[in-house]
Amino acid sequence: MAVEAPERPAAVRADIARADSRTKIFNRVCAGVLIAFALIWLIPIAWALDTAFKPNEETTATRWLIDNPTFDAFGRVLRDTDILRWFGSSLIISTITALGVVIVASMAGFALSRLRFKYRNAVFFLVLAGIMIPGQVLIIPQFREMDSLGILNTFWAVSAPQIPTAIAVFIFKQFFDGLPRELDEVARVDGAGFWRIYRGVIMPLSRPAVSAVVIFAFVQSWNDLLWPLLVLSNPDIMTIPVGLATVQGSFGIRYADVMASAVLGAIPLVAVFLLFQKNIVEGIAGTGLKG
Amino acid sequence: MTSYLSRRALLRGAIGLGAGAALAGCSTPVLSGLGTGGDAAGSLAYWNLFGGGDGVRMTSMVDAYRAANPAIDLKAVTLSWGNPYYTKLSLATLGGKPPDMAVAHLTRAKTLVASDLLEELTLDELAQVGITPAQLDQTAWNAGLVNGKAYTVPLDTHPFVMFYNTDICEKAGLLDSSGALIPLDSPEKFTEALTKAKDVTKAYGGVVAITADTSTPWRMFQSWYGQLGGEVLADEGRRVVIDDAKATQVLSFMQSLTSSGIVPPTLDYAGSVAAFATGQAGFYFQGEWEISTFQTAKTPFSMTLFPNLYGGDKYAVQADSHTLVIPKQHRPDPERKLRALGLIKSFLDQSKTWAEGGHVPAWLPFRDSAEFKALQPQANYAAAAEGAVYDPDGWYSGSGSNFEIVTGSNIATVLNGQQPPAVALAQMRSALTNLAETASPI
Amino acid sequence: MSTTETAVRPRSGTSASEPSTRPKGNGLPAIGFLAPFLVLYLAFIIGPGVYGLVMSFFDTSLVKPGLGTFAGFGNYAEAFQSSDFWSGLWHTVWFTILTTPPLIILAFVFALLADRARHGRWFFRLAFFMPYILPSAVVALIWIFLYTPELGLLDTGLAKLGMTAPNWLGDPNWAMPSLAITTIWWTLGFNFVLYLAGLQDIPRDLYEASAMDGATPWQQIWRITVPLLGRTTTLVVVLQVIASLKVFDQMYIMTQGGPNFATRSVLQYIYDEGFTNFRTGYAAAASMLFFVVILAVSAVWFGIVRRQQKGA
Repeated sequence: MAVEAPERPAAVRADIARADSRTKIFNRVCAGVLIAFALIWLIPIAWALDTAFKPNEETTATRWLIDNPTFDAFGRVLRDTDILRWFGSSLIISTITALGVVIVASMAGFALSRLRFKYRNAVFFLVLAGIMIPGQVLIIPQFREMDSLGILNTFWAVSAPQIPTAIAVFIFKQFFDGLPRELDEVARVDGAGFWRIYRGVIMPLSRPAVSAVVIFAFVQSWNDLLWPLLVLSNPDIMTIPVGLATVQGSFGIRYADVMASAVLGAIPLVAVFLLFQKNIVEGIAGTGLKG
Repeated sequence: MTSYLSRRALLRGAIGLGAGAALAGCSTPVLSGLGTGGDAAGSLAYWNLFGGGDGVRMTSMVDAYRAANPAIDLKAVTLSWGNPYYTKLSLATLGGKPPDMAVAHLTRAKTLVASDLLEELTLDELAQVGITPAQLDQTAWNAGLVNGKAYTVPLDTHPFVMFYNTDICEKAGLLDSSGALIPLDSPEKFTEALTKAKDVTKAYGGVVAITADTSTPWRMFQSWYGQLGGEVLADEGRRVVIDDAKATQVLSFMQSLTSSGIVPPTLDYAGSVAAFATGQAGFYFQGEWEISTFQTAKTPFSMTLFPNLYGGDKYAVQADSHTLVIPKQHRPDPERKLRALGLIKSFLDQSKTWAEGGHVPAWLPFRDSAEFKALQPQANYAAAAEGAVYDPDGWYSGSGSNFEIVTGSNIATVLNGQQPPAVALAQMRSALTNLAETASPI
Repeated sequence: MSTTETAVRPRSGTSASEPSTRPKGNGLPAIGFLAPFLVLYLAFIIGPGVYGLVMSFFDTSLVKPGLGTFAGFGNYAEAFQSSDFWSGLWHTVWFTILTTPPLIILAFVFALLADRARHGRWFFRLAFFMPYILPSAVVALIWIFLYTPELGLLDTGLAKLGMTAPNWLGDPNWAMPSLAITTIWWTLGFNFVLYLAGLQDIPRDLYEASAMDGATPWQQIWRITVPLLGRTTTLVVVLQVIASLKVFDQMYIMTQGGPNFATRSVLQYIYDEGFTNFRTGYAAAASMLFFVVILAVSAVWFGIVRRQQKGA
C-alpha cells in the first residue's frame, strides 16, 4: 500500500493526459467533419453567386471558373423586372408589421404583467389559444374579409393579420414578469401613471425582448409568401418573395438572370444578417418560432 | 448595451436602405400599396402566360406595339403558366387591380365570364378599333360567346395535330408524289401507316405522351370521339352524357395502338418529344406548339391535321384558343378600355409573327392571305380551326382543369394497357358525376 | 436574451400571481393597454376563425357575395370522401416524415460538433443559418437551377462521380424527396441554433467531472448531452413537425404540386379549391380539418411538456 501510494497520482496524470490527447484528436476529427458539412452547405449559395456573374451563354457549362465575369445579368434584372419596387414593398410591409407587433404586443403584455383586472385570466387564455392557431388555416375567411373591407392590394391587408401575434404578447409578458416590481413602485410613488411606467420604465429596460420581437416579426413578414401572394396581385406592389415566385417562368432558361434575381432577392436580409449575426441568431432562437 | 447600439444601427441601416429602394424604385407605384392614387394616365397593363418560343414572339409583338405607340407606357407581365395564372388573374380582378388586358384560354375565359370577372366587348367598341366579328375565325368567335354576348377576341386556335418524320415516311412509302402524307382516313389505314413506320424505325411507329400526362390522352380521345359526334358533358357541366358505344369504340382503338406495339405505352411528355426528335418514331401527336422544338432539333418533319378516322365529311379535333380579354375594373374607364382594345388589334395585326409559332391565326385577313398559305407546315392544318372541338362548358372544365385530369388520367390507363376500356369508362363516369353534382361555385 | 429562450414554453394557467400591493383593480387602464391588440386580434384572427367555421357549412363561392346556400355537413362529407384531400394530407405527412428526422439529427450533430470547436463558431453559424433567412422564392430559384436535368450542378456533379442523377423534380417518386432535400438545406440552421443555445446551458463542470471518471467523449455525449437536451429536443421536434405540416411555398414554386399532383400539400389543396376553383366554403371545411390535425399535434406536445415538467 505504502509503496503503491506515490504511484497513483502519476497513473491518474497519465490517464488524464491520454484522455486529453484522445479528446484533442476527437475534437480535430469533429472540426474536420463539421467544416466539410459547412462547405457543402455553402455550395448552393456560392453556385448561385457564381452563375449570376456569368453571361447567360456560359451558364450551361458547369464550371466554377468564369471566363467573362459580368454584371450584365444584374443589370437586366434591375431593368426588366420590378424588383426595386418589390424591395420597397417588402420594406414598407415588414416595417409596418414589425413596428405594429412591438407596439400592440408590448402594451398587451404590459397589461397582463402589471395590471390587475377582472378578466385577466380569460384574456391570457385567449392569447394562449392564439398561439395554437396557425395563420394558414385562416386564409380563406381572411381573404374574404379583406375583400369586403376593400383593402385588397394594399399593404394594410398584408400587415393586418400579422400584427396581432399572440406569441409576441407572451414573450413580452414573460420578459416583463422578470423585471423587478420595485422599479414601477418607485415611479408610482413619484406619481407616474401606467403609461409613463410603460414608456419610461419598462420599455427602456426591455430592449432584448424588443429586438428579439422586431427581428422575428421582420424576418417572418419579409419571407412570407402565401398571404401576400393572395392579397397582392398587382405587380407594382408585390413583395420580393411573391414577385420572384410569380415571374420566375418569364426568365425561361436564362440562368444567369434567374440567379441574379435570386441573389438580389436575398441581398437585403443577408446584409442585415451579416451585420447583426449574433443578435439575429439569438433573437430567432429566443422567440423559438418557425415559419 | 450591444443590443441597444445594434438596434439603433439596424434601424438607421433600414431607413437608409428604404430610402434607397424608394428612390431607385420610383416610389409612386409602390406607395399605391398604402391605398393612395390610381393608375397613371397613359399607362396600359397587360398580362400573359407565354414562355419558351411563344414568350419570345410575344415579347417582339409587345415591342412592336411600344415602337408604334411611344406615348403609351405599356407594362407587360409574364406570369407562370396554368392554374397559378388564372388564380392570379381572378384574385387581381376581385381585388380591384386587374391588368387592362390579358390572355386567357377560351375554355378558361368562359369560367371567368360566368364568375363575372370579364368586361363585355360590344360590337361598337370592337368596331372603333377596326375589328368586326366576320374577320375572326367563326368557330373560335362563336365558342367564346356567352348568351350571345362577346367577352373574348380569339388570337389563334391551337389544335391537336399530327407531326410526321418526312424521311421515315418516305422510306415507308407513306408520301405521295408531291411529298405530302397520304390520307389516313380510317382506323385501318392509320394502323397500317404506323406499322410501316415502325418497320423503318425499328423502334416505334408513333409516340404520344401517356405517363404522368393527363391532357394529351384527353386531347387524343376527344378528337376521335368528337369525330363520332360524341359529347361528354351537357347543361354547363351539370350532366354527364358520355355515349358508351362511341367512347368504347375510340378507347378500344386507342388501346390497340399500344397493345400491338406500334405506340410505346410508357413515354412521358419529354420522352415522347425526344423519341420523335431523334427519329425513333415516324409519327408524333401533340398540340402544334411543339413545332419550335423540332425546328430547333433539325428533325426532318412536317405537320398535318390529326387524322380524321371517324368524321367523314365533318372534321373534328380537340383544340383551344388563346383569346384576349379585358378583366372587369372596379372603376370602368372607357378611355382605358379603348386603349386595351387597341392593343388587341395590334396583336391581331401581328398574326404573322404569332403564326410562326405554329398557332393557326384567328385573324382571317391574315389567314386568308397568300402569305399565310405559303407558311409551311402551318397552312397544312389551318383547317383544324374550323373543326375545333373545345372542352365542354362547366365550371370544372377547360385546359389544364380538373375535368382534363379526371378524363385524361383514366384514358391514360387504357392507353398503357392497365385497364380495359369498360372499366376506365365506368371510373371516368363516376368521377365526372361527382364533379357534376358538386354545387357550382359560379 | 436568455429570458426569452424560456418564453417559448407555454406554462399552463397564468403566471405566478404577484404580491398584491394594489388592492384596487386597474380595469380602465387595462382596457386601454389591451385594446390595440385585442381589437386587431378579434378582427383578424378570432373573427375570421369563426367566419371560416360558419362558411364551412355553406356552399360559399369566392366570386359571389354572401355565404350562399346552407350545405350542412356536406363540405365535410365531401372532404372525407375526396381522394385529393386525403392524398394532399398524405403528401404533407410524407414530407413531414422525410424532413423531420434529418432536420433534427443533423442539426443536433452539427450543433454538437460546433460546440466542441474552439474557433470559428461564427463561420458555422453563417454556413448553416444563412439559408434560413433567405425567402422561400430565392431558395426555390437556386434549387430549381441545381436540379435542372442534365445541366444542373447536381446532375453534372453526379455524372463526374459516375452516377446517373434521377429526374429530381420531374419524377413523381423523386419530387418529394428532392423538395425535402431543399427544405433540409434551407431550415436546418434554425434547429442548429436552438440546439447550440441548449448546449451552452449545460454546465461545463459536468463534462469535466465525467472526464475525471474516465468517460470517453462518446460516453459524455450519450450520458450527459443527450439527456440534458431532452427539453430542447421536444421543442425542436414539435416546432419542426408543425412547420412541416404547414408546408406550401416549396411545392407551390418548385413543382406547382406536380408532377401529376404527386407533391400537392394539403395547404395547396385548400388554396387550389378556394382560389382556383372558387369553392371557398368547401376550402374552409378542408381548412378546419387541417386545423384539427395541427391541434392534435400541439396537444401531444402539451402532454409531453407536462410530463417533462412533472419529472423535472
